[in-house]
Amino acid sequence: MDIKRYLDFRLLGLVGSILLILSQFLSWFSNQSLLQIFIIYSSVPLDYSFLYIFPLICGIICLVGTIVIIHNIEYRINSVIINFIGLGFFLIFLIEVIPREFLYLPYAEIGFYFSIIGSILIFFDIINILISK
Amino acid sequence: MGNKIKEREEFQKRNDESNDIEAKFYYALGHELRRKIINIIGENKYSSFTQLKKELKVSTGTIYHHLDTLSQLIEQKNDKKYYLTELGLHAYDSLKDNINNIITPDFGKKEFTSPILKGLMHLTPKKYINYENNIRIKVLIISSLITLAGAVLCGLNGLFPFFLYFEETLINIDLIDVALKTLLSFIFIANTLLYFLVNEGICRIFYKKKENSLRFLISFGLILFPLDLYLILRLILISTGSYVFESIKILDNVLMILFQVWSLWLLTYNLSVNKKLKIENSLIVSLLVHYGGFSIILLLAI
Repeated sequence: MDIKRYLDFRLLGLVGSILLILSQFLSWFSNQSLLQIFIIYSSVPLDYSFLYIFPLICGIICLVGTIVIIHNIEYRINSVIINFIGLGFFLIFLIEVIPREFLYLPYAEIGFYFSIIGSILIFFDIINILISK
Repeated sequence: MGNKIKEREEFQKRNDESNDIEAKFYYALGHELRRKIINIIGENKYSSFTQLKKELKVSTGTIYHHLDTLSQLIEQKNDKKYYLTELGLHAYDSLKDNINNIITPDFGKKEFTSPILKGLMHLTPKKYINYENNIRIKVLIISSLITLAGAVLCGLNGLFPFFLYFEETLINIDLIDVALKTLLSFIFIANTLLYFLVNEGICRIFYKKKENSLRFLISFGLILFPLDLYLILRLILISTGSYVFESIKILDNVLMILFQVWSLWLLTYNLSVNKKLKIENSLIVSLLVHYGGFSIILLLAI
């Protein structure tokens, strides 16, 4: 079996987006998923509760970007721009949330790692799209 | 004397042979179907006749005719599948390279069909970024005004700028005094210069593009235009008192992301037309600088 035929570089973006979407439903800190944290924070009038669904938004936008390039490889620049927007949400999330949750970082769980790996895969996907002929 | 004639004859023979191969090479690539055959085999490493027929959707006779013409570039092995010869691989590579150059010969004059790029091109001040020399002074004035406006707005918002990011200062905006606002404005201008130098440096180091640095600098301020708009909107939200609502803060974040992407696009366009980089390379430069800046901001925030 020619494995290279099935390992398309566009899979990086697909896997990355799915990891980011999954991370929303997996535990991040103290056995709570981001979705649970979002629900708790939005039940009390707390600032920035919406930030906690930014990884999900990022995952969905990057998934759209990946589907665009899988649908038609000529749309690679469009896909890159959509991925730029998607990753923007994740970066804002990191900038706003990480300093707040910094003390809990040593206790980070699978959701946190999924999101970091997902965003790195999307980053490599963008680079891959841009350097591949 | 006899040896010299023999050598000359051999040289002439080799020359004729290479001319013959060259002629066959270009003749073979001179037909759309033959180029498609080369691409199908090149992308899949090999191809069966059935696969070629399925993808090309032409008659069996036509495929056989073109396969005969491509005899120097492809070969049929014992497993009955078609593979590229060494010359065929070279043809496949040059087809790939050339199509990239043909697709993006001059990005500044390119017409796009996709809605996203079309929309972005509408938001791009092409005339001022890819400017004629007779309006250089005008572009310089506009560019400087945009940078100065950005500096003032950054100070008024009490934001610390880093590349295309803004980080809120820890001090309450109402308590920020004039001295600190002025300092933030100066930081904005220094940040713009630093951002320019980093982009210019990457172009010079990685892509060996040393030309048009002055043109690039003159129009560099234009990429800050979306950020100016964002800062104006943010100032309006703060001054109307609506910034206390959570939904408005989320809107602020979303606006920042969208205006950043717009700025990144202007930077990409600027790099393409002034530093003569291919669009893909311009995007790589923008991407690296943007995420590099983000990493530094994240470290500072922690």
